[in-house]
Amino acid sequence: MEIKKILFRKEMKLLTLLLTSLLIASASATIYYSLTMQPKVTVSTPTITFVSGAPDQPSGSTVNNAWAFLTAKSYPNATLTYEKALYINNTDSGSPHYFRLQHVNITPLNGTSGVGNWTSIKFLVYNSTSYVFSLNYTVSSFDWILQPSSGATSYYSVPASGQWWIRLETRSPATATAGKVCDMQISVDVKE
Amino acid sequence: MADPALLPEFFALLSVDIFLLLSLLTCLLEERFPKTLPYIYQIAALIGFGHLLVSRQFLDQFGEYMRFWYNFFYLLVALGNIVAINLYLALEKDLWALAKAWSGAVTFPITLIAVFFVSNYSYLQGMEFPILILQVGFVVSAIVLGVSMSIFLSPDLLDKVRRRKEVNRWK
Repeated sequence: MEIKKILFRKEMKLLTLLLTSLLIASASATIYYSLTMQPKVTVSTPTITFVSGAPDQPSGSTVNNAWAFLTAKSYPNATLTYEKALYINNTDSGSPHYFRLQHVNITPLNGTSGVGNWTSIKFLVYNSTSYVFSLNYTVSSFDWILQPSSGATSYYSVPASGQWWIRLETRSPATATAGKVCDMQISVDVKE
Repeated sequence: MADPALLPEFFALLSVDIFLLLSLLTCLLEERFPKTLPYIYQIAALIGFGHLLVSRQFLDQFGEYMRFWYNFFYLLVALGNIVAINLYLALEKDLWALAKAWSGAVTFPITLIAVFFVSNYSYLQGMEFPILILQVGFVVSAIVLGVSMSIFLSPDLLDKVRRRKEVNRWK
């Protein structure tokens, strides 16, 4: 009888409700916290995009918003220039965005005789009025010499809605063998 | 779009806390309410918890817009209960003093908090929500809260105002 009285006392009811309330509140808060911690990957259009440099773009090239595949030629003992091989656009009309060029991969590999089929391959970036920066590959004996030597340029800011372009220059020595192919991979790193 | 500081589920969390608060308050004032009311509010809070638990699995299926509306509806139910208790005390039980205290200490502060978070969320997410109504609600709640607090801190204030009115009438 006494126990029953104690159980139905207001303090006991309040204590029970308080404990269950704490339990429910903390469990709910934990679930909400786990929701805020869920990563989200949203598909969106890139802010810095590639645009075809036609008619200066090398024939057989493919250009997409987010990537570009250029098939350039190189002539022995002559410099071949693709003046506006590729445009780089800042699609953000509100603010400038930074980007850089970075070397990823090149074949033939350093130290192999195939490297001797090229003198230089240069990617020069221009803004609407003048030259800004470049990523150059020059050959010394059978090695590619990168300029900048780190393989990555500094970051440069493309103004809001700005359009820059890449000038591609290739040159091979007089002794180059026709049909040799150099595969290069360069990344365009964008600070969003 | 700005990085969302608030998820729509925040309103469900807020509602769960409101139901728990109601449960404790109705238990404290159990002589004035039906005996089962605190437990009903605990169950309502548990439903909110279950809703949070289940909806976590269906976030991809429901868009942000729909998630907002069903959480907001749950919040409206919780706020509706606070107002209903206020009316119950005032009209059904004729406990005007307690009803006034309830409105100053519970109804308006919680309405103020809810309106603040809803307006903040709708501003961040660019929701098509009647911002003007929210802002008016926010200001009204803040004024009522301020008046309630000043009356609570100096109970003679109302008498003084009444007396001044009477003096002005005689002049």
